[in-house]
Amino acid sequence: MKKTGPIYLDYAATTPVDPRVVESMNGCLEMDGAFANPSSVHLPGQKAAQMVSEARAVIAARIHARPQEIIFTSGATESDNLALKGILMGRGNQHGHLITVKTEHKAVLDTAKVLNRAGFEVTYLDCDSTGLVEVRQVADALKENTILVSVMHVNNEIGVIQPLPEIGQLCRSKGVLFHVDAAQSIGKVPLPLNEWCIDLVSLTSHKVYGPKGIGALYLRPGVQITPLVHGGEQERGLRAGTLSTHQIVGFGKAFELADTKNEAPKLEALCARLWRGLKSIDGVRLNGHPDQRSPSILNVAIPGVEGESLRLAIEDIAVSSGAACNTDSPEASYVLKALGLSDSLAQGSLRFSVGRFTTIDDIDRAITLMKKEVARLRSLASFTPDW
Amino acid sequence: MNYSSEVRQRFLSPYGAGIFEHSSLGVVSGEASDRTLNVRACFRVQVVDGVISSSRFQVFGCPHTLAAASWVSEWLEGRPAIALRQLNVRSLADTLEVPVEKFGKLLLIEDALLRCAQVLEGTI
Repeated sequence: MKKTGPIYLDYAATTPVDPRVVESMNGCLEMDGAFANPSSVHLPGQKAAQMVSEARAVIAARIHARPQEIIFTSGATESDNLALKGILMGRGNQHGHLITVKTEHKAVLDTAKVLNRAGFEVTYLDCDSTGLVEVRQVADALKENTILVSVMHVNNEIGVIQPLPEIGQLCRSKGVLFHVDAAQSIGKVPLPLNEWCIDLVSLTSHKVYGPKGIGALYLRPGVQITPLVHGGEQERGLRAGTLSTHQIVGFGKAFELADTKNEAPKLEALCARLWRGLKSIDGVRLNGHPDQRSPSILNVAIPGVEGESLRLAIEDIAVSSGAACNTDSPEASYVLKALGLSDSLAQGSLRFSVGRFTTIDDIDRAITLMKKEVARLRSLASFTPDW
Repeated sequence: MNYSSEVRQRFLSPYGAGIFEHSSLGVVSGEASDRTLNVRACFRVQVVDGVISSSRFQVFGCPHTLAAASWVSEWLEGRPAIALRQLNVRSLADTLEVPVEKFGKLLLIEDALLRCAQVLEGTI
């Protein structure tokens, strides 16, 4: 039976919590569950601590790290803040230098701005028209006082995958720390930390069918950071606050269930089907790299339709125009503008992202609605801006 | 973004959208656009014996702009040609509950009508 109702194609914004994750979390919330404070020394506390410990081990294993290298936070945004501020401000050197990319998530860019205002030097690298950063650019930007390079693994808007192994090797050879925002990685693309020279990694749960409000920062042994949140000795004194057992357990379960090897091909097939359908619309083009991208994200530009009208016309499809964090902003996506798109084309672009519960029927319904509404809006306008 | 029920209805079924399919006798057109507002509005009106008998529009713009063009197209029909200079944009914005930050987009519809008037009057 074909589905009716809204079609959810915004998995890059957030994912529904997997029922198996919900079940694992429920076990922590009730009187006979692991509700106690994991820092308490009594038996219920130890029970909660054990569950946190098990989840930490699962999360670490997923990225080929060790449990003691994982610090729980409230999400990738906090992890990004902790990584950048914790490293730079911890050096006691107000003249330190940070290198990042213009297409990073706002959690990195806004944190970089704050650090810049505090006296740190920041270099924002350009990307090419597909969203890729060249290793040569990083090399050229490195200076004597460079402390940290921050480059995301998978871009949240266009899905492009940056050359992390090469950038990591470069940074390691120069004695510069390397931070990666991997919020969009798990369950879609491999992240073998044991093979790549990465010092800090931001992770999140809610992009991989786990609960919102929980994430982690991977910290390579020997890397010193200054905490941002004080008030307790949790997480080795690096991030105070009572650990949220149910969220951490859910996070761990979500990572346990994430099966990049088997899920990625399915996501890729769904995205490919969607792209085949959309590119039959005259003038539609892909934003980003055709090959070096996440299997689950598809960002397309649709000339000849005004962005807000398109979004209303297809409101039965849940998609993003730009990052979800910026939905209230009337401005064109800064990521798409960094690729060289005009304001109008950027505003008329849509990001589709598929996930575990996306069906072929979802894809086909989305294609049908897109074709119909783009044709209708184009007939209403009969005009393609040159701006 | 919130849209009133009238905006939604006019966006989905816009009155007056398109071009005149047959006779172009007595048809004048006017256009206005602004890249910063991401809007282009084009109106065509057929004037017979000093009365606007029919109106058509083509608009590249947001749902509020499209709905406003549809409302204007309906409002113009049957009015004397002088109505091309009499659109009350503030009243239109209130009727359609257009957010204040979009007021400039409706002014482009007013500009397009003014150009129609000028063509009709032979002043451009």
